[in-house]
Amino acid sequence: MPSATVNKPRPSELLSRLTSAEPEVKVRALREVKNQIIGNRTKKLSFLKLGAVPAVAGILADSIDDVTDNNNCNNDSNNAINILVQSAAALGSFACGFDAGVQAVLDAGAFPNLLRLLANPNEKVVDAVARALRMIYQSKLAPKYDFLQQKNMEFLISLLNSEKENVSGLGASIITRSCETNLEQKALFDAGILRKLNSLLEGGSLSQRDASLESLATIFRNNPEVISKFAGPEIGRPLSSIIDLAKDRYPRTRLLACMCLIVIRNASPHFLQDIGIKTKLIHILLELLDDPGQVGDEAPFAFSSLIAQKEDLQKLALEANAIDKLHHHIKKGSLHPRRYEGILLALDDMCSKLESCRSKFLSLQVLNLLADALTDYNAGVRAAACICLKSVTRSIKNLSAGYFMNETIVIPLVQLFLDPSTSVQVAALGATSNIVVDFTTRKSIFVQCGGMKQLVQLAKSMESSVRSNALWALKNFVFQADNRLKEGVFSELTASLLSSLIRDPEPSVQEQALALVRNLVDGCINLIEFVFAEDGLILGAIGRQLQCASKAEIGIQGMYALCNVASGNEFHKEAVMQLLFTQMGDKNQSFVIKFLQSNDSRLCTATVWTIVNLTCPSSPGAPGRLEKLRNAGIVSQIKNMVNDPCVDVKLRVRTVLGQSMAFGDN
Amino acid sequence: MASSKKLISREEWEKRLNNVKIRKEDTNKLVMNFLVTEGYVEAAEKFRMESGTHPDIDLATITDRMAVKKAVQCGNVEDAIEKINDLNPEILDTNPQLFFQLQQQRLIELIRNGKVEEALEFAQEELAPRGEENQSFLEELERTISLLVFEDTSNCPVGELLDISQRLKTATEVNAAVLTSQSHEKDPKLPSLLKMLIWAQNQLDKKAAYPCINDLSNARLEDPTF
Repeated sequence: MPSATVNKPRPSELLSRLTSAEPEVKVRALREVKNQIIGNRTKKLSFLKLGAVPAVAGILADSIDDVTDNNNCNNDSNNAINILVQSAAALGSFACGFDAGVQAVLDAGAFPNLLRLLANPNEKVVDAVARALRMIYQSKLAPKYDFLQQKNMEFLISLLNSEKENVSGLGASIITRSCETNLEQKALFDAGILRKLNSLLEGGSLSQRDASLESLATIFRNNPEVISKFAGPEIGRPLSSIIDLAKDRYPRTRLLACMCLIVIRNASPHFLQDIGIKTKLIHILLELLDDPGQVGDEAPFAFSSLIAQKEDLQKLALEANAIDKLHHHIKKGSLHPRRYEGILLALDDMCSKLESCRSKFLSLQVLNLLADALTDYNAGVRAAACICLKSVTRSIKNLSAGYFMNETIVIPLVQLFLDPSTSVQVAALGATSNIVVDFTTRKSIFVQCGGMKQLVQLAKSMESSVRSNALWALKNFVFQADNRLKEGVFSELTASLLSSLIRDPEPSVQEQALALVRNLVDGCINLIEFVFAEDGLILGAIGRQLQCASKAEIGIQGMYALCNVASGNEFHKEAVMQLLFTQMGDKNQSFVIKFLQSNDSRLCTATVWTIVNLTCPSSPGAPGRLEKLRNAGIVSQIKNMVNDPCVDVKLRVRTVLGQSMAFGDN
Repeated sequence: MASSKKLISREEWEKRLNNVKIRKEDTNKLVMNFLVTEGYVEAAEKFRMESGTHPDIDLATITDRMAVKKAVQCGNVEDAIEKINDLNPEILDTNPQLFFQLQQQRLIELIRNGKVEEALEFAQEELAPRGEENQSFLEELERTISLLVFEDTSNCPVGELLDISQRLKTATEVNAAVLTSQSHEKDPKLPSLLKMLIWAQNQLDKKAAYPCINDLSNARLEDPTF
């Protein structure tokens, strides 16, 4: 008769049995705790809250010296062995994939005891303890291992040399978790660890091979020196064992081998650069997407690390139908959030630089798909969808055709402006910045969806990255927009908000605010009035900010803003002049001279353009302004730049000088 | 219609077969691999003594694994879980799909025995949290619970859950998971070889008429027909 009883002791009852003086009761209680928590995150949490971990850790500590040799087979020693095995297993399970559990185990002081028990004569004890330690080292919370200490390196070597899989696996886990710096990587190499790992690659069991691949990748990361020492003098041989494993029968091994090869490729320009290996890696990773488990979830991330920033690989991947395959997987639906996020980011990398990839992706009618992802319940997926959208909207052809300025995309995107996660907000703003650069007459859709008002709200956010990205989007939105739209933006923003943003503590915010003004006043003379609103708040803010610009970009945007103002009427030009000269009072040099002498030719160009507008001969006040500029030494400074290496600077300088000669000046 | 297929006579075929050299050690390894993977401990032991073939896995571990498999097949799921955790606590901790399947089997056994209240309590306490963690688990849970709705379970849409085949399915999954955790392949090689034989014959059928094997149990060559 099958027994399927559910009569379990309550957790609190179990914990009290743990304190029993009778070893057999203790063992049974430990085993029961272990069996209740394995695989069951909810139970782990509830036992944790009841203080189970310190209780079990205490038992481990008390029993640590009870098993001293392997020969006794009596009841007492069996109980002692079982107590150690079950308590270690329970601690290991608390730590398995559960950070709160790892923290509890560490806080309970079990870590040093577990390390000590690795030397225990009983095999089962060592096995259980090694496994528990391995679980701890899979977590970010694991204690940092100091490889640079001789004793520690020796201990690590002894672990790797062990015949027991769990023990050598522990050695590999420690490396994978703790090895971070180039110094540590070199120390591991010098101690012969790489040779040991390589032998596990070739002769070890499945789990040893996998663990080695992960450790090798950790040691190789960003370290071309160690890689070349490993791969040559016997050029190609150790690498060929990793390449072989990329074709292994087990998907996890294939993935880990590919990841190791990618680390090598990315760190060192000498290895794995031929088209054969590139194509192979692409095909293997694309095929791994079919794996239904964790391997398939991680495959797109490995794919991204292979192709990111590398046009040649993106082209090869396009030819291998990567976009179709990635698209196919998203369409299947009910994806694990990690996998969903990974595929979206892979598509982002594919479309980041190449128009051919974007065209291919857009040809698959993906707007609805992206809209779904934008409204996913998982924040990582939403952010990834925005990031993907940002890359895709770099397609000028489609932007110009107004392909993206439609409600399917704009409505969910605007909703993300209010997302609880800052990174989602920033990603949404990034995508928006591209979409609003729309050359059709459909920008009003964005206003209708409430997008413009939301952007202004976000410009007041506590997060500086949100403020600067919101301003970026607004800047793009008003770029060559019609007057009505610009007036709408300005009245929503208000002069006081804009001027305070120009004076924001963050340089990136200042820069975007100035660029926004530049775009607002550009094009129509009536718009220039914006900067004079409320007693010239904005103009004043520009002047003050230019005086203390902390980086060139701020100066550039500010000068172009002034340049646009100076393209207006007499009143406008005089106002700019006053600004340039008011600041000279207590300083021996106007910021104009400073900018003209800058190494940044963009800054010089912007400044000279402003002077061009101020001295343009058709305006009556030009001679007077020219006189002032000459007296301030600005004209002679400009004369010095007549042969500037930058063409833009040179041409504008000659315009100024040409204009000044029209007034009979030399 | 004239056939463009090549004809290979039995004589010629048998001559070619004889020219293929297969080592006795390799066939022995195949047999041992089958016995070990499927869990026939005693047969494996006897075979080892008779042929001198070394099993690629410790025979003691087979006994443990078979105990687990048997417990599932008999519906003693709680016992099976305890045994798996004794063998290797990592298996169920890192395999949510398998763990859920076992818990689901426990629920099925409770329902089978008419312990309705216990079943509901178990579903609520143990399985509902799994359902929260994973959408597909939730759907499976709902399917299983719906067994309680039907009076005549032999006719209900989810009746197959009560079938013995469900236990066997779970038992096979468990066996595979334990084998994998022991770094052993979960499928024996012999069936794959036979599949390859049939596939190769299918491929060759397009190009030639030759003595083929139609009955795998006796591997008798049947004369080619035109």
